[in-house]
Amino acid sequence: MNIVVPIKLVPDLVEELEIDDDGTDLDRDFLSLRINEFCDHALEEALQLKDAHGATVTVLALDGDETDKVLYTALAKGADRAIKITGIDGAATSRQTANAVANALEGIDYDLVLTGVQAADDRDGQLPVLLASRLGIPHVSVVSEVAIDGDAIHIKKEYAGGVTATLRAKPRVVLGVQAARETPRYAPVSRVRQIMKEAELDEVEAGDVGAGATSSVRRMFTPDKGEGAEMIEGDADAIAAKLAEILNAKRS
Amino acid sequence: MPETPTREIFLHFSTAMELVFYAVAAVASVVFLYGFWLRYRKIRRGRSEHRFDDLVGRIRRAVVQIATNATVRKGDRFAGLAHALIFWGFVVLFIGTCIVAIDHDILRWFGLKMLQGTFYLWFSLTLDVFGVVFIAGLVLMIVRRWVMKPAQLDYKRADEQGGQVDRSGYATDDMIFVWLLLVIAVTGYVVEALRIAETMPAFERWSIVGWVLAGPLSGLETETLVNWHVWTWWFHGLCALAFVAYIPFSKMMHIFTDAVNLVFVDERAARRLPPLPPAPDGNGDGDGEPKKKAAPRMGYSRITDFTWKELLDLDACTKCGRCHVACPARAAGTTLSPRDLILDLRSFANEAFGTPEWLTQRFGRESKWPLRDGGTATALDTDVATDVIRPETLWSCTTCMACVAACPVGIEHLTGIVQMRRHLVDGGTLDDNLQGALMNLGDYGNSFGESPKKRGRWTKGLSFKVKNAKKEPVDTLWFVGDFASFDPRIQGLSRTVAEVFHTAGIDFGILYDGEKNAGNDVRRVGEEGLFEMLAEENIAALDAATFEQIVTTDPHTLNTLRNEYPDLGADYRVLHYTGLLAERFASGALSVSRRLGHRVTYHDPCYLARYNGEIDAPRDVMRAIGLDVVEMPRCGANTFCCGAGGGRIWMDTSNEQKRTSEQRIEEALELDGVRVFVTTCPKDYTMYTDAVKTLGCGDRIVVKDLIELVAEAIEPESVEAAASDEAGAAG
Repeated sequence: MNIVVPIKLVPDLVEELEIDDDGTDLDRDFLSLRINEFCDHALEEALQLKDAHGATVTVLALDGDETDKVLYTALAKGADRAIKITGIDGAATSRQTANAVANALEGIDYDLVLTGVQAADDRDGQLPVLLASRLGIPHVSVVSEVAIDGDAIHIKKEYAGGVTATLRAKPRVVLGVQAARETPRYAPVSRVRQIMKEAELDEVEAGDVGAGATSSVRRMFTPDKGEGAEMIEGDADAIAAKLAEILNAKRS
Repeated sequence: MPETPTREIFLHFSTAMELVFYAVAAVASVVFLYGFWLRYRKIRRGRSEHRFDDLVGRIRRAVVQIATNATVRKGDRFAGLAHALIFWGFVVLFIGTCIVAIDHDILRWFGLKMLQGTFYLWFSLTLDVFGVVFIAGLVLMIVRRWVMKPAQLDYKRADEQGGQVDRSGYATDDMIFVWLLLVIAVTGYVVEALRIAETMPAFERWSIVGWVLAGPLSGLETETLVNWHVWTWWFHGLCALAFVAYIPFSKMMHIFTDAVNLVFVDERAARRLPPLPPAPDGNGDGDGEPKKKAAPRMGYSRITDFTWKELLDLDACTKCGRCHVACPARAAGTTLSPRDLILDLRSFANEAFGTPEWLTQRFGRESKWPLRDGGTATALDTDVATDVIRPETLWSCTTCMACVAACPVGIEHLTGIVQMRRHLVDGGTLDDNLQGALMNLGDYGNSFGESPKKRGRWTKGLSFKVKNAKKEPVDTLWFVGDFASFDPRIQGLSRTVAEVFHTAGIDFGILYDGEKNAGNDVRRVGEEGLFEMLAEENIAALDAATFEQIVTTDPHTLNTLRNEYPDLGADYRVLHYTGLLAERFASGALSVSRRLGHRVTYHDPCYLARYNGEIDAPRDVMRAIGLDVVEMPRCGANTFCCGAGGGRIWMDTSNEQKRTSEQRIEEALELDGVRVFVTTCPKDYTMYTDAVKTLGCGDRIVVKDLIELVAEAIEPESVEAAASDEAGAAG
């Protein structure tokens, strides 16, 4: 079984986000990027499948500042091949990303695509849906576990209200992973560094990725403080004291 | 008729009996040499390691240590005395036996004889006196082991394995060892007495013990005496030969293994950990394919990954149990005991390498021991870090180094633990919390998952701007560390340190976002690659800055900067803040405006006192500000761990039945009139303030960092600000 995991990189929320001068986007000069958490889970689920059933895992990501590190880390964790999609801005929209990935997949033999169910910067839709529709194959989202049984793929999908369904699909299918069955594994730095010395990242051209989003941003801003929220200011002790006071008052 | 004082060797022996004795002696020697060779062959299976630098100095140091029994006496004077008596008794009696052998078996053929006249008299006296010394030592050991029964001699395992491990073999081996020696010593006197009783020559008064015992026997028939003498002689001789033959298969082997181990000990063990072991040779992996580029081994997973010195360590252990009782992980009730770890690895190495060990621990069928059914076929493939020593056990270590420091024979437990942890990290067998901390450290250079840009943010609110050492030269570069930079409980202390440095006129600066976690605990967790990455980034930042010395408040940071960074090319003078302040108090640059005068106790941080011998400076500072220091029973280099080291602060520690930090606070509460528990380590401060809260004894004792007390003592006006700030944090 050949599994492909397209990985999105998203702004790292550890850094304070700033709005650019136009007021329509994040100021990307001061951003640092990291792997989208859901994509990390998709990779883990793919590696779990590889460990359990044997499979080839190929990771894909759009070229950008942190892409090499993310791809080498994926190889260190056990992915077999890593491909960097070049000639496209890291700030691509979901549609552009879906097109770029679909173009890249033309040259790859794949049975299963696992990717993050969503990402923090999915303004114009989630990648799994867009990718599946562009590829013309089925898709399942909010997946929490995948099992392979011969030619059949068993998929656990979560619904709202604590309902879970098990679906069966045949290759090819795109799955939007909500959570892997286990915490994404750790990639020891020695291995990552060793991989960096030894392994090569393949590159493919993004090709025609289309015009981008079907909607445009008029204004980007930090949410106004609402009336209902009381912001507690001060150092940790003052905040703790205030919280204790509020909780005590509500206890009665 | 004046007789030349001497004695006949093989008195009353026929030539045939003499030959029988030599034959038995030859057999015993062959058995000894065979056993010795088996052990040597096992040690040779270890990986190579260079320990031959300054060989003369090593041997000189070991000879002094062995002759004085200094390492045995350290921390246990009773055992030290008993051991020294046995040791010197044994050495002198052994030399005496050698003299007899040389005289009888070599010199005799040249018509020469040493054992006569004055030399014989002194020889007799010396051997009789040292025989008493020897017996006294053995009796003390017997009393200690079977009457006093100190806790460290209890062989009960830290992990019970459901009662599946039978260690009665160890006890039997101990018994044979001491009683066999006692029987040999006592029968030696009996043989001597029977020989003297026959003729009672006056010069044999020099054989004081034999003479005294001979008195009552002298009335017996000569024939009886001769008979008894021959039979006792044989009994004595056979016991002695049995001892020789038994040495390599028993605890007695420590005579050799410990002497050699003390020669090759690494005095910087644990303080400076080794890098990753090199790749196995091309065909070592068994697949026969030449490796394109050999990657280093990620720690130890097989018994063959251990170096010869580490295998020798296993054989050096005498089960004295000092590490077992010193270990905080054991005291906390985890499955780790450094003694059990060494003994389990030894049992495994013996099985895996096919080295016989008669009286040892036996693993029952229900136990998880990998070789319990004798499955040695795959022994060399066994994952030692999972199947011999359990991961939970390896993760329990706080790397406090108490085991290494307590060991009288130079065993370096900690290196092996970290090497096995490296293998666990490589295989992803690690705690989720720890994994999160490591990922943060990899991404942001700190375990808190904070933006590196915020590293210097704690300086906000100071009365002055802390110099940026990336941009301007400073005299003293303050390497702040993670906890002091990011933990809200410690940031206030950092500000107090800055104010005190400022008052003391110290020209200092910090690296702001140029500093990363120094990596001491990352390395001890077993994430060597991450340690290297952090160290490289820090060294680049240090190299780009201009300064004379480094100071830090964190003993863990101090340890790696001082002992490990030099191997990576960054060799700087590294001080703990207490050392810097002690210098300033001594020179008069800092003066006390208000002597504090309360009674306090001081907790020595492991990484400061035990790892780096920094014991006096904090006490000098406490004296300078007028504190009356009452010591806890465990103090100085013998301090007790707070439980946070070696990455434990990032792990789920719910396997601890009773946290060591709480045990330590209880130890302090025993002291009379002490209401302040002083620490000089950010992790200690965190652990002990927590422990006081958990124990609910905040009304009886308060935890303070020394810097708070210094600030209080040197500048009354600014105290209010600092004190009220800290009171809030402590309350």
